[in-house]
Amino acid sequence: MSTMNRGLLDRAGSYITSSQAWRSIFRHGYPDTPLNQSLVMMGNVFLHLHPVKVSRKAMKITYTWCLGGLSFFLFLVLTITGVFLMFYFVPEARVAYNNIQQIQSAVAFGNLVRNMHRWAAHLMVVTVTLHMIRVFYHGAYKPPREFNWVIGVTLFLTTLLLSFTGYLLPWDQIGYWAITVGSNMASYAPLLGAQAHNTLTGQPVGVGGPTLIRFYTLHVIGLPLAGAILMAVHFWRIRKDGGEAGPPPPARREIEQARAREMEVASLS
Amino acid sequence: MATTEPRPAATQKRYRTLAVVKQEAITRVEKQLEDSVFVWPHLLVREFMAAALMTVVLLVVSLVVDAPLRAHSDPNLTPNPAKAPWYFLGLQEQLHYFPPTVAGVLLPGFTLVGLALLPYVDRNPSRAFEDRKLSISLFTIYAIFFAVTVLAGSFFRGSGWQWVWPWQHIYFDL
Ligand code: HEM
Repeated sequence: MSTMNRGLLDRAGSYITSSQAWRSIFRHGYPDTPLNQSLVMMGNVFLHLHPVKVSRKAMKITYTWCLGGLSFFLFLVLTITGVFLMFYFVPEARVAYNNIQQIQSAVAFGNLVRNMHRWAAHLMVVTVTLHMIRVFYHGAYKPPREFNWVIGVTLFLTTLLLSFTGYLLPWDQIGYWAITVGSNMASYAPLLGAQAHNTLTGQPVGVGGPTLIRFYTLHVIGLPLAGAILMAVHFWRIRKDGGEAGPPPPARREIEQARAREMEVASLS
Repeated sequence: MATTEPRPAATQKRYRTLAVVKQEAITRVEKQLEDSVFVWPHLLVREFMAAALMTVVLLVVSLVVDAPLRAHSDPNLTPNPAKAPWYFLGLQEQLHYFPPTVAGVLLPGFTLVGLALLPYVDRNPSRAFEDRKLSISLFTIYAIFFAVTVLAGSFFRGSGWQWVWPWQHIYFDL
């Protein structure tokens, strides 16, 4: 009985995987041979961010702590939950707050999605900062990765600005006054203070309707687009700079000691 | 006429770029084999697990803790203290020690530009901790300075930016 089922399933399976439709999508067999494991990485636009093989040492969890990857994953989560929130949110000072209340109480899964968007945003600031710190301690910003570090710094700034612009949108006391305090800092800039504040908030003093529409536009399109492009460059550069740097090599002193020991052995024999 | 005839393929010189392999690239042809593994499945499994774990954590937190929403904004009702988002509370705390232009603009500006220039300023080629005592000390001191001011601004400051112990009252929103 079961053998007959097995036979049917196998035949159905091989019928599907050998059909023209299937083979037009997957141009190789299941990746359980070295050839297919290579083809799958090179033939898939998403997977091909990765090389076919990676060094075992650089792949260790205790090298990257997954921090860059988690930052990227949180960015994806924020994009998906953010699009959902956009269905219900109008960046207009008279209705914005009300929209958030409705998302929380009247929209199916609205409260959960708003919570996920909020916590993922805070978490992303944390993971990006920790990622930068871990790259520093590994000295992974040194040649040939200097420029990718610079791209990283712009990503760090983009992440902070994404969080900052989003914070205003609920139009409650928390966001309103946090952005007032934050954007007042810009007005301390020497000479250009007033212009800097005006550019940021769209008005000479304080925060208001023009600020809301400005922050909303930056938050939903300007900054995510900039971030996505910078991330594409960041990931491309990781590959082009020779992949992950991997754990730091031995110190100069250790190299010299090893050389001295070799010389000693050589002179003895 | 002979000149109009296509030249025989054998004598024709045409080049196609198949690949340019840089000295230190991971695809370097004559690089000695290092201890490497296939990305499918070894790395992809780890990435999948990390993403799945993060999804679970985020879902559980979002089911248990609600994102804050205070009263409707009111330009005439300034909360005391009025705090920036947490990652800028270090700057707001520094505003308490330094003149506004220094804490509000010059220090953050210097930090960002300094970070961007770091790989060009730190010319020490070694990546080993032992050989990088100076850069590691400076970076660590700076990072601790920022972490401490963020924590102070977040949990130790109350109305009028007066010092408040967290067990007295916490003025902090996420
Ligand atoms: C949105 C923000 C960012 C994302 C999504 C991101 C993503 C990644 C990923 C996935 C990696 C692979 C290794 C790993 O996971 O650690 C990586 C490596 C790297 N990142 Fe980032 N990153 C971001 C921000 C930054 C920042 C702020 C810096 C530094 C200022 C930076 C500098 C680097 C460098 C130099 C590497 C190569 C590290 C090595 O070879 O060990 N990145 N990044």
